[in-house]
Amino acid sequence: MRVLGVVILLALFSFGIVVMRIEINRSGRAISQAQNEVEIKEARNQYLKLEILRLSSPENISRLAQEKLGLVPVKPHEVVVLDQPK
Amino acid sequence: MLRRSVSLPFTFDLKSRMRLAGYILLLAPLIILLRLAYMQTFLHEEFASKAERAIYNYLAEDRLRGKILDVNGRELAESVRTHSCGVNKRYVKDKDKTIDFLAQTLDIPKSRIMEKWNRAGNFFFVAKKIKPDNYIKISKILRTPLGEGLELTPEYERIHPYGYSALDVIGAANSKNLGLSGVEQMFNRELSQDISRKRAKRARRGEIIYDRKLKEELSVANVYLTIDEVAQYYAETALKKAVEDVGAERGAALVQEPSTGKILAAASYPVKDGQSMAFQFAYEPGSTFKTISVASALDAGVISVTDSIDMEGRQWTVARGVTLRDKQHDKDFLSVPEVLQLSSNIGAGKIAVELGAKNLFYYIKSFGFGTKTDVNFNGESKGNVPPYNTWTKVDLASKGYGYGVLLTPIQLIGAYSAVANGGTLMQPHLVDRIEYAGGKVEKLSKPVKIRRVIQPETSQAMIKVLQSVVEVGSGKRAKIKGYNVAGKTGTAEKLGKDGYGKRQHVVSFCGFVPATNPQFTILVVLDNPSKYTFGGTAAAPVFKEIAEHLLALKGVKPDQLDFE
Repeated sequence: MRVLGVVILLALFSFGIVVMRIEINRSGRAISQAQNEVEIKEARNQYLKLEILRLSSPENISRLAQEKLGLVPVKPHEVVVLDQPK
Repeated sequence: MLRRSVSLPFTFDLKSRMRLAGYILLLAPLIILLRLAYMQTFLHEEFASKAERAIYNYLAEDRLRGKILDVNGRELAESVRTHSCGVNKRYVKDKDKTIDFLAQTLDIPKSRIMEKWNRAGNFFFVAKKIKPDNYIKISKILRTPLGEGLELTPEYERIHPYGYSALDVIGAANSKNLGLSGVEQMFNRELSQDISRKRAKRARRGEIIYDRKLKEELSVANVYLTIDEVAQYYAETALKKAVEDVGAERGAALVQEPSTGKILAAASYPVKDGQSMAFQFAYEPGSTFKTISVASALDAGVISVTDSIDMEGRQWTVARGVTLRDKQHDKDFLSVPEVLQLSSNIGAGKIAVELGAKNLFYYIKSFGFGTKTDVNFNGESKGNVPPYNTWTKVDLASKGYGYGVLLTPIQLIGAYSAVANGGTLMQPHLVDRIEYAGGKVEKLSKPVKIRRVIQPETSQAMIKVLQSVVEVGSGKRAKIKGYNVAGKTGTAEKLGKDGYGKRQHVVSFCGFVPATNPQFTILVVLDNPSKYTFGGTAAAPVFKEIAEHLLALKGVKPDQLDFE
């Protein structure tokens, strides 16, 4: 009877270990997947940030302003500078 | 009976054999133990440094480098995390499918991948620093059978979002994260991080696990230049157009704030990273140097603005066999302003002779020529001003109109800024501030007065004289509607193997605007134009174009009242 008790206890213990290992593996995979997704998002974010910088370069803005909107650089004497209110 | 002592023959019984075998078996671990003890005690340093070097090497490739930004915080150079794609042949399930996928994703011919595959032992890199889009595509299949054997190794790449803009000043950093030239090299210590004594491990999938202490110190400093990217763009665009129009070998355009010495733009064309003409190009300036000799003579009281200078029938024999000719005018006498307006070599030469070698040398050195600036740009030239006791009368006269001295654009613009700001030579600044991790900011561009070069009255007189050069003299093409412009043209023949040649020359214009309250000093230099041209026709319009953009950009009010 005592032997049977020990065997059952051992079986339960082993089962617990197996369940725990499965859970660890599952969580590991989830973490790894999440990490991968973060990396992808970060890479994408960095890429988009660079695109913004490229698009907002003076060269690009000047070109687009001239080509798309027909704007020309203003002559300095045409700029009206308002005095700051005191 | 004689008794003989008989020694028993050696018996190699089982016990002895066992003992011997035991000793032999013990010997190997004993040798290993002794060797380990020796290594730990005597070779400790060597092995520790070996391990450190190995760690440092891959850390150096992986770690982040600080940013280089313009004065307004626009990123001119930054490190972005990229990945290299490698193949571990042993783990690849389906070779053909994997190669097909890589060729298609990375846009590399299949034959090239096959070539690498056949040449490599087990591991090889298919592509380094792959684009983020490709990284996303590959990382998505990494855990599928198709992705088995593929590896994405993280690393940092130096990116310049504005392309070639200011690259001559920014310089380059290599894949080991070491600044090689320009600001990258000047501030390498601040931009990178000294981690050679730190410890880190690399995990199986490539990521670095730092020591706690190292991770805390991982942040690096960002370097802010005094350069304004928009001003830089205007200078680069105008310079490029001019260089191409006149077929020049190269050109430089610089913009400085005369009151502070800050460099707002430093353009070189063609652009080569870390090779800035502003600091590294030494040349004989020709007539733009007349401003220096005339200002020196005025300041020393040797001449006054109202003096007239005898042109000697426009043929002045300086010494036996050396005659200077002015072909550009037919006047017998020139006033001091006219000497600059008409760019008279005879006038400037005579003024230099009147001032004397010792005095002229003193002023030239005082204006900062012949000395490197404190910018410490790598490869900066100090120019060349020979000691005055070696000058002949011809040397002295020729220095008056800008021959026989070698100077750099940064020196000349500094001297003109001194004339513009009331007579003080300011220390030029290329770096505005350094922002360290944790928010500490070190300001590097505080205005530093190097010395007073000329009196404020001389400065005022020179501003008027230079203004007249643009209004009625050789610099008319630098005129800007609504603004008083002061400046001087220069067309210098270059010294070749057979002496000074008409075919090779440097044309330039240096000036400042608005003349009544100078905000920008601008220098334009075009080296060796293939078309025969002059400073007034080729360089002055570039000055005008850059100045117009800057005045509008900064909202500088016109200093002329009735210009409509």
